[in-house]
Amino acid sequence: MIVARKWLWPLLGGVALVQSVALFDMIYERHRLLTSGRELTLSVRPLDPRDIFRGDYVTLGYDISTLKKSNTESDSDFKGFIPGTPAFVTMSPKPEGGWTENHVGSVYPSEVTAGDIVLKGRVLSAWKSQDGAETIVNVRYGIEKYFVPEGTGSALEDKVRAHKIEAIVAVGSDGTGALKGLVIDGERHEDPPLL
Amino acid sequence: MWSPYKKWLLRDLDRWRANGWLSEEGRAAIVADVQNSASAFSLASALGILASVLFGFAAISFVAAHWEDMPRLARLLFLLACVWAGYGVAGWLEMRGQTLLADAAVLFSSGMFGASIMLISQMYNISGDPADGILLWWMGTLLAGAVLRSNPTLALAMVLVGTWSFLHVSESNTVHWPFLIGWALVTAAFVWQRWWPGLHLSALTLSLFVVSLGYLLGKGHAHGLVAVLGVLAAIGSVAIEKTRFDLDHLATPLFVYAIAVTFAGLFALQFFESPSVAQLLLLAVVTLSLLLVAIAYALSKGNRGALWIGYMAFSTEILAIYGQTIGSILGTSLFFLIAAVIVAALAYLALRLARRSTNGEQPA
Repeated sequence: MIVARKWLWPLLGGVALVQSVALFDMIYERHRLLTSGRELTLSVRPLDPRDIFRGDYVTLGYDISTLKKSNTESDSDFKGFIPGTPAFVTMSPKPEGGWTENHVGSVYPSEVTAGDIVLKGRVLSAWKSQDGAETIVNVRYGIEKYFVPEGTGSALEDKVRAHKIEAIVAVGSDGTGALKGLVIDGERHEDPPLL
Repeated sequence: MWSPYKKWLLRDLDRWRANGWLSEEGRAAIVADVQNSASAFSLASALGILASVLFGFAAISFVAAHWEDMPRLARLLFLLACVWAGYGVAGWLEMRGQTLLADAAVLFSSGMFGASIMLISQMYNISGDPADGILLWWMGTLLAGAVLRSNPTLALAMVLVGTWSFLHVSESNTVHWPFLIGWALVTAAFVWQRWWPGLHLSALTLSLFVVSLGYLLGKGHAHGLVAVLGVLAAIGSVAIEKTRFDLDHLATPLFVYAIAVTFAGLFALQFFESPSVAQLLLLAVVTLSLLLVAIAYALSKGNRGALWIGYMAFSTEILAIYGQTIGSILGTSLFFLIAAVIVAALAYLALRLARRSTNGEQPA
């Protein structure tokens, strides 16, 4: 460190302040998303229970993690076959409860039916079936990890295996999703707000 | 200063003193100066940097443990307090003239900044992209390193830029071009600081990036491009050495990295792709010829790093060709033919060098 004496403390304070503000901004963004975003409840697909608990988080799989061309309407210019490109998935409420995907595009849809929610994801990979009739696109939404205290994973693991977990997702106006909590056996589990 | 240099210098000083080129006072003054500069990189500051790295790992594990007995807010405030305390200690040490220990404290704060990012990601179950967290981390670290002119912190920033890119590549299997932006920013900070070890780190990460292009571009078969880029860099380094004597200290290491990159590309072309025997033979001859040219050039310039890399690459190449061709009599025969050509070329080279040294020019 070679800093002029006169500037030492202002510079140190400045750096500490900028880093702190960056951290608070991160918290603020998430907090706003969780409190103001619309809520989407998705059933969690049971993954191989031996594989889903890595250390201290649960990997959650959803029906919308794999989109099939045959049952999802898509924009004609959907670029979903390039990994890393965005995918905006429109979710509609089902009459019997729960949500179903009905449309996918590379940009936020210009018209959204009242009641529908658009969730933003990112294409992870895509492939075509051998006869070329079916295209499968793997999408990640940033809601695939639920962190749990060390050693408490196994109880959750049993419940995922028994199909009793749903995820509560808060969705912001730009489509960003945030995992808000889990519904376990019909009971909501949510972390209390930080402040 | 490193002790091999000191040992070397002391030996030379004794010789110079014996030859009468140096007075006893002169020798004593030089030795005292070397001893003083050695204390600048003291054990205390080295341990301080090491301690900061360990503190960083401790903090990250602390976050990962997700310890419930301490409320989330308290954990966050604790890490934030560590960030501020690190900068406070850095200021205090700087005031007392302990510059290198102050560097360690700044490094500590940047580590705590990263741990805080991870804690927030964990609190809000942000899984979107682990690389996004690292992006914020390297930007914050670069800011601290550049503003406070702290070299170890800048080194951390470069390591984080590399990690950031690596995470992107391992997820998407495509080239992560934004790496070049981060790389250029941190490298600019190294240049501004005139910190040469940092530039080595820059060269190393850029070399890895260029080599990775071979596996990512052209459906994973762009190793030819890597070799061409390496050769261009080598030519560039020779051009710099010929035209700009003041940039000699940059050209010499550049040549070393260029050889390594070229060889990585050629090696992949020969042994990770599946060339025909004729192609393999051609590529092997090209590789070995280029390596011989590089070794000869390194010998003439006294570039020890390039010499070392050249010999390593040469041995690796020979072993790999042997492994590839063995099994068929024709292949083995081909191997011996290549080996013979190489040895003949080496003999010619040795002859040339010997002739040059008898002309009075001592090769290094």
